[in-house]
Amino acid sequence: MVKSWEGKIIRSDIIRGHLDSIILRLILEKDRYGYEISKEISVRTNDRFRIKEATLYAVFQRLNRKELIESYYGSITHGSKRKYYRITPLGKAYLHEIAKEWQETKEIIDLFMEGL
Amino acid sequence: MKTLKQLVDKLFKDVPESEEKRVIKQEILENLEEKVQDLMAQGKEEEDAINKAIIEFGDVDEIKQELMQKTFPPKKNMSKVNLGFSIWGSLLIISLFVFANFYYTPKEIWFVYPTFVVLWWPLSMLFIWLRSR
Repeated sequence: MVKSWEGKIIRSDIIRGHLDSIILRLILEKDRYGYEISKEISVRTNDRFRIKEATLYAVFQRLNRKELIESYYGSITHGSKRKYYRITPLGKAYLHEIAKEWQETKEIIDLFMEGL
Repeated sequence: MKTLKQLVDKLFKDVPESEEKRVIKQEILENLEEKVQDLMAQGKEEEDAINKAIIEFGDVDEIKQELMQKTFPPKKNMSKVNLGFSIWGSLLIISLFVFANFYYTPKEIWFVYPTFVVLWWPLSMLFIWLRSR
């Protein structure tokens, strides 16, 4: 969910298209587990964007299938093992590619959105 | 936290049983439990915290879709093979008509009619193949 400047909740299709990169970026910084990632997203965006858990796990599945991330079980916390995710070399390459692409896209869209 | 487990079970009840399903349910349950504990640490009642976590969970269909995709890999494109098969098959059938025509009734040419009927087969396969390219 994204709150626009009016405070209304708006559809966030544009962000949804970049969820893979957002999550890859967070895992690139360090290995993380599910709840940590959703919390980190809320904290960094100052609660302006919140990822739904359902979406998050769907992204994990997808990234895993594309072999951009891999998972492993960490040490025992709260009586059970946490499932951590780590980025693969392929995932790093992909993320860098996407980051470049995003810069391009942003420049192009900015040409039309700035100065209004 | 028994109720959370029941809720996760309910979310996934129409997904076919698999090792993957078990793993992802376990993962989701653990993360939800942590979220609930976090919310309670912020001063929420347990019931409120659980409700909030469930409401914020979102649409489980997204996960289902991903799980299904894994079990059913995308179909291989068979249209080229189908086209080849239809061409060879129709040629065989047409040559049977030609043979029957000239062997039994050489004075009357009728094999053209069934030939037109049979040609729909490779023709339709050709267009399916063209579209899939």
